[in-house]
Amino acid sequence: MSNSMKGSMADYSDDHLVELAKQGDIEAFAELARRCQERIFYSILALTKNHQDAGDLTQEALMQAFKSLKTFKQRSSFNTWVYRIAVNLTLNFLKKGKREGTKQVLDESLSWVEAKEETSPSPERGSLKRELSRKLQEAVDSLPLPYKASFVLVVFQGMTHYQASRALGCSENTVSWRMHKARKMLQARLRPYLEG
Amino acid sequence: MRCKTIEKWLSDRIDGELSERKIKVLQTHLESCLSCRSYAAALEIIQDEARSIQKPQVSPSYWAKFTSELKANLSSKKTEKRLARLSVKRWQWAGASAALTLLIIVGLYFLLFFEKPVPEMVVFSYEDSLTQISQEIGRDPELENLFNLVVLASIGESLERSGWQDSPGFQENFILWENLSEEEIRLIESEIKKEEKIEEESDEG
Repeated sequence: MSNSMKGSMADYSDDHLVELAKQGDIEAFAELARRCQERIFYSILALTKNHQDAGDLTQEALMQAFKSLKTFKQRSSFNTWVYRIAVNLTLNFLKKGKREGTKQVLDESLSWVEAKEETSPSPERGSLKRELSRKLQEAVDSLPLPYKASFVLVVFQGMTHYQASRALGCSENTVSWRMHKARKMLQARLRPYLEG
Repeated sequence: MRCKTIEKWLSDRIDGELSERKIKVLQTHLESCLSCRSYAAALEIIQDEARSIQKPQVSPSYWAKFTSELKANLSSKKTEKRLARLSVKRWQWAGASAALTLLIIVGLYFLLFFEKPVPEMVVFSYEDSLTQISQEIGRDPELENLFNLVVLASIGESLERSGWQDSPGFQENFILWENLSEEEIRLIESEIKKEEKIEEESDEG
C-alpha cells in the first residue's frame, strides 16, 4: 500500500471505512482492524493468559467480522461490534477447556518487549507489592468466567459498564452486579495481603 | 442504609457509575460505619494494583506481521466468497437443467410408451358359435325340435331365393354325377326309387 493511500485511509472515519469495507475494500477493513486490534488482543490475553491463543483469537475475531460485515447495521460502533465477536469467541474457547496459561511467557517469536518493572521506595515494600500483584493476578484468573470477563474489560481495558455490556451482550445492570461480586471475591481472597 | 447496598455502591463509585445523590448518601454512611470504610479501602487497593499491572509491550514488528497475515487471509476469504457465489449459481443452473431434463424424459415416456389398455374383445368363430348354441339347445328336446324346424325353414327360403326349381335338378347335374363313385350313385338311385314309390302310393290313396 502506498504512503499516500495509507495516509488517506487513516484520515477516514470508522463509518466511512465500514462502507468501503462492505464493498470489498480490504485496505479499508485492514485500517479498521489496525485501530482496534491491540485493545482486543490485550483483553483476550488477560482472559486466556496465553499470547499465542490471544493472537489467534484476535485474527479469528477480525476474520469473523469481515465475513459478517454485511450484517453490521452500524447501530453501535465498529469497535464495540468487533469486541463483542472477540469476547464471544474467547469465552467459547475457554469454555471448551483449551489450555489456559497461568503465566505470561515472553516469547521472542512474537517480538515481545520486556515489561518494565515498577520501581518501589524500599526493597521490602517492593517485595510486598510484587507479592500482592502476583496474588491479585492469580485471584483474577480464578474468578468465574462471566465475572472475570467483566472485570478485565472494565478494570484492565477501562471500559464503562455500558461499553462492557455491549461487548458482553448483557445489560448494564448485569455488568454492575458482576463487578460488585468480582470485587467481593477478590477482597475475600486477598484479605491477608490487604491488612496492614 | 444497609451495608450490603453500600458495598454495591462502593463498587459502582470506583467505576465512576454512581450518581451524585447516591455518592452523598454513601459518604454519610461511611462516616459512621467502620466495616464499610475498611471494605472501601480494600477495594481502592485492589483497583490501584490491578491498574498498575504492566502488560507486556508488543513490538511493531509483531503487529506488522499480524497485519500482513490478516490481509492475506482477507484476500483469500474474498476469493472464497466469489467462488462460493459462482458455485451456488452453477448448482442452481444444474438443478434447474436436471429438473427440466427429467420432466422431458417423463413426458416422452408417457407419450410414446404408455398405451391405454385395449379392452379385450372376445371373438367366437362361426363353428364355435354353433357348437356353443348346440350344446345349450341339446339340453332341451323341445327347443332342439324347434331349432331344427327354424334351420330347415331357413334353408328352404334360401333355396327359393336362389331359384333352385329353375336350375337343373341334380339328376341332370353332370358335374355332380361325374364326381360321385359307383356305390354312391347306386345308393342315390335306390333312394330316388323309394321316394317315387311313396309318391305313387300316396296318389292312389
